[in-house]
Amino acid sequence: MGKKIPLPMMILAILGFCYMLLPIVIVVLAGLTAGEFLTFPPKGLSFRWVIAFLQSEKYLSSFFFSFKLALMTMVISTILGTAVALFLSRAQFVGRGAMRAFFLSPVVLPGVVIGFALYAFFISTGMGISRTIWGLSIGHILYSTPYVIGTVGAALASYNVSLEEAARSLGASPLRAFRKVTLPNIAQGIQAGSIFAFIVSFGQFEVSLFLSAPNSEPLPIAMYNSLRYKFDPSAAAAGIFAITLVIASVLLTNRLVNIRRLLEKQ
Amino acid sequence: MKKDNKNVTRRSVLKTGLALSAAAAVPSIFNINHAWAQDVTYDGKVFDAGGATLNIGEWGGGWEEFVRSALTNQFEKDFNCKINWDSSFPWFPKFVTKGAKDPVYDIANWNLPNLTQTKNAGDFFLNTDEVRANVPNTANCWEFAFASGAGVTWAYQPYVYAYRTDRGKAVNNFRDFWAARFANKRGTYGTENGLMHAFFMATAREFGKDQYDMNAAFKALEDAMPMKVSEFTFNMLSLLERGEVDIAVHIEGEALSLKQKGVPVDVWQWDSHPILTQTKTISRYAKPMQKKLAFALLNRTLEPSFLNAFGDKFLWRPTNSKATITASLAKEGVMNTASATEAFWVPDWNFFVKNKLEITDRLNAIFGL
Amino acid sequence: MTEASAQVGFHQPGSYQRHMKWLLVVPLVIFWVIFFVIPVGLMFATSFNSQIIGQVAVTSDLTLDNYIRFFSRSNYLLAAWRSVLLAIVVSVITLIVAYPMAYLIAKTENQARNTFLLILVLSAMQLDMVIRLYGMMVILGDNGLINQMLAGLGLIKVDEPIQFMYNFLGVVLGLVQFALPFMILTLMGVIAGIDPSLEEAARSLGASRRRAFLRVTLPASMPGILSGSLLVFALSISSYIVPALMGGFRVGVLPIHIFQQVAEGARFQFGATISVILFILSAAAVATYLRVGSSKSGGLA
Repeated sequence: MGKKIPLPMMILAILGFCYMLLPIVIVVLAGLTAGEFLTFPPKGLSFRWVIAFLQSEKYLSSFFFSFKLALMTMVISTILGTAVALFLSRAQFVGRGAMRAFFLSPVVLPGVVIGFALYAFFISTGMGISRTIWGLSIGHILYSTPYVIGTVGAALASYNVSLEEAARSLGASPLRAFRKVTLPNIAQGIQAGSIFAFIVSFGQFEVSLFLSAPNSEPLPIAMYNSLRYKFDPSAAAAGIFAITLVIASVLLTNRLVNIRRLLEKQ
Repeated sequence: MKKDNKNVTRRSVLKTGLALSAAAAVPSIFNINHAWAQDVTYDGKVFDAGGATLNIGEWGGGWEEFVRSALTNQFEKDFNCKINWDSSFPWFPKFVTKGAKDPVYDIANWNLPNLTQTKNAGDFFLNTDEVRANVPNTANCWEFAFASGAGVTWAYQPYVYAYRTDRGKAVNNFRDFWAARFANKRGTYGTENGLMHAFFMATAREFGKDQYDMNAAFKALEDAMPMKVSEFTFNMLSLLERGEVDIAVHIEGEALSLKQKGVPVDVWQWDSHPILTQTKTISRYAKPMQKKLAFALLNRTLEPSFLNAFGDKFLWRPTNSKATITASLAKEGVMNTASATEAFWVPDWNFFVKNKLEITDRLNAIFGL
Repeated sequence: MTEASAQVGFHQPGSYQRHMKWLLVVPLVIFWVIFFVIPVGLMFATSFNSQIIGQVAVTSDLTLDNYIRFFSRSNYLLAAWRSVLLAIVVSVITLIVAYPMAYLIAKTENQARNTFLLILVLSAMQLDMVIRLYGMMVILGDNGLINQMLAGLGLIKVDEPIQFMYNFLGVVLGLVQFALPFMILTLMGVIAGIDPSLEEAARSLGASRRRAFLRVTLPASMPGILSGSLLVFALSISSYIVPALMGGFRVGVLPIHIFQQVAEGARFQFGATISVILFILSAAAVATYLRVGSSKSGGLA
């Protein structure tokens, strides 16, 4: 490892990690406080607030609602976004850049604009999906898909299409050529894109503000609502729980489908 | 006008829409003609709602957890109904987007500036007299509980300065906030925050000739810069706890809870005695069963047993004269008597709402937004 | 993904390449037209109506009053300028900070270490912004760790801390922290996809390590750089919560004004006006960027 990575690069990377992680470390430590309120340095360490979070019906149900919503959003965004990225990387036509920008455009608007516009639209058309999980996930998909298009597009751009053509000319069917040659090459892009889609949806506050459904609001809304009135470390505890879940799911996916092993075959 | 637009929208959806035109064509459930009987009455007794759903707009998080366990879970059982709880504030844009005739919530809980804004934007709520006639527990409420003209205020707490006790002498004057020692160590809230609205009105009253003297308030707030501006009270408590601010606009209960946890802070109640209120409104065009349930829920909210439990938990004070002040507040000398509540001042929110655009612009300019 | 491959597989090479690839894009185009173009278009249209609180639908009463209001007030113009500047500054800084990090992850072959680094990046994305702000405050506040350290070293006076927060700098610092994982994940895939033999070839031809990097690796990462910085630009120009909290409600950017008008004031027409202006500014910036970018990367991104 040290051999391949130049030292200056290594130092810069480590400093970058420190900057990115320091606030997170502080929140995690503050969330593990044994005291009554959020403070740093923490007053002794304990899991009491994490346990309190796990015992809170409200937070936990919001957590799982957000999880479900983010999964739905992730699956749809990844499928639609990857398809569009494939298209954009292969089709040659005037206005390709414009189309790319078109798909990116929801992200440049604040979430509250999309959320409100959709809310008013659902009501005025009488679609009956305002303030349901369906309406909410539509808003989230608008925000998540551009990330998938971006990352998969970048992965496709750095990869040479002639490889797939070569495979095809050797008699592989298009599906086989795609699966065996293209897919492994862009797998990391797709993985990154779907992670984005999930996390953007999971942390989405503004889009959800107008669209969230009664009785089951997403975690960021529940957290924000609670933080308006309560000064305790449960929001930090929710973060600790979320991070634990991320670690578990990364380890699990690495075990089940080792995408990197696919990559090594390239 | 609104109808025209609806047609245009639907047409364009059908024109373009392949996937979802079917969904759009489904007859609108919102077009059902409610036979809103204006004459629904309620006498305070338990009744069977036959599984009806009641839409409420009410705060979430820990507040929701408590209110569910202390009030609404039992309510659902007793009245055989289901509560649809929406805590995605703000309610105002949601109300106006759906229109008065098709209320987004049957019963909603508010701060007064937002309530007044909505009330003035259309015929959304039953007026106070209509509510009083159908909610027996209102008979025991202090008169200021009806000051909004639209709903019934069920809990309140005074606005205060929360200040660090370890940074110089105690605060005992509204103008202490402007003291030189608090430069860049004074905390208030964003332009659209309810606490900022109250602070603005109190500042006008203190520095001007009365609460309507907006220019005096703008001038005073300009003089108070640099301030630290926050969005919610939690964040302000963090700022206080870390010593980033030494004095902050706040509300009594939360600031006292910080004190009780051992942080060196204390509170000083403004001498103009404005109060932050929790007020529930009932939507005029709610369907009859929902309206009746809303009356019943409001009546339950005003029960001393709930108000006492709520006060113990969050240090809010009750508006019902039969309820009691929680022990920790009582220890500080807070009483629930006619004379103790006489001094309370409910700022003229109608005036505020009328001038809101101007106020927002000027405050933005002062903050540098 | 499965849909894409299925569509690819159904058709003969020739026809698939000519026509069927349009099938890849049609579903999302329809989705975008129904749920983005029409709703947002209708909202944008209301910017040409007079401002009536609570009025939602488009009316035939056309006026430019809202635009006049926007362009005649210096604070809105300043906010527009600040929004664009902020997004550009954050994109550049994030790119510079993220590249070595992404490079490190991409070039780490040890499976366990690689997974560990990935977990670090993902963990950084998982904290809610409101609570993350608390962490930033502990570090950057007037009484924060950095100011305490500087005061301890005698570099500053205790009662004259450096303002790292509640100003433009604070918003930049917060947004960079927020955007880093997005940039890293975008770059990482691209850097990992670069054929290592390219760099080796360059070096075997006598290029110095730095030269090989600058001439081979960096140009080959261009698609990721373009794509990532575009995402970060969009993320920054539309962010409400970070400027609001890190700027302490004293750094005016367009999303804060939009939030005030739409979510808090129900002044939809004026909110729509600011949104239109934000949209046009972003579109212009993105178009310029794509034009410059595609000429540099041969149209790859």
